[in-house]
Amino acid sequence: MPKKVLLVDDSTTTLMMEEMILKQRTDYECVTAKDGLDAISRAVVETPDLILMDVVMPRMNGFEACKRMRLQASLRETPIILVTTCGDEEYVEAGFQSGCSDYITKPIDGFELVTLLQNYLGE
Amino acid sequence: MFLARMSDNSNSPTELEGKVSVQHAGDQAKVYAARMRLQSALDQADALDAIREIAVNLIGTEEVLVFKIDKKRSELWLYWSFGADPNKYSVLEVCREPRLTEVLSGKPVFRSRFSTENLLSTDDPVSALVPILVDGSPAAVIVLFRLFPHKTGIEPVDREICEVLSNCAGRAVGPYHSR
Repeated sequence: MPKKVLLVDDSTTTLMMEEMILKQRTDYECVTAKDGLDAISRAVVETPDLILMDVVMPRMNGFEACKRMRLQASLRETPIILVTTCGDEEYVEAGFQSGCSDYITKPIDGFELVTLLQNYLGE
Repeated sequence: MFLARMSDNSNSPTELEGKVSVQHAGDQAKVYAARMRLQSALDQADALDAIREIAVNLIGTEEVLVFKIDKKRSELWLYWSFGADPNKYSVLEVCREPRLTEVLSGKPVFRSRFSTENLLSTDDPVSALVPILVDGSPAAVIVLFRLFPHKTGIEPVDREICEVLSNCAGRAVGPYHSR
């Protein structure tokens, strides 16, 4: 059974790009959500193997969504990778405080994305 | 940390080939996503939002201005801004900005990697000037300011994305009514 990845971003451009890269280079199944609140409900229903989530989003940002996901028993161990515009130490630390497993910076590099996800999910 | 893990990998020729192939696929995905997003823009506001999305997520800047070109092609008037102070840049005079002459010929202009030259006489560093073509002629110019700190410069894929912006963002400036 293919591994399932939940992609979370309010930008349709980013979702399209991420989905294209992953579909071309992996067998992962992709599901999408448009903001943090949407992501929580999708994650509970879909129980993805990994969540790739933007930080800056309307309604609920990635940090808050990450914290709330970690309160769900079914999502406690799910790898959550945050997509940030900033690699600053403080910002990254805030991500880890929220419970994320790793982070990747924008603009996303195709090779970096595929390698990172394969580290968590296998090829 | 992920970057540390990446640097631990030694690259054999096969691994290097695989890396280049994935990199190429990633770049093509960016160019395709940019084109699709602009071509599917519903209206002027959505097209401007598409420019913002592309600048932030695909190129890597959070400071963008769009200027419309006046009828005499002597001045550019600020039309839309995101992340940059609009009060600082309401008008650009072509006679004072030599690089704008190149842009008005219809080709994007980029700041070279590691160059200290600024493309405009602005306090803030400009990374790219991209003409928006309407019916083959420049109707507006997108100014991309500083890139994210972890990005060292405009890359080949960014140039391709800017070409897409140039050719597909016409809806953002609407029907061309010069001042």
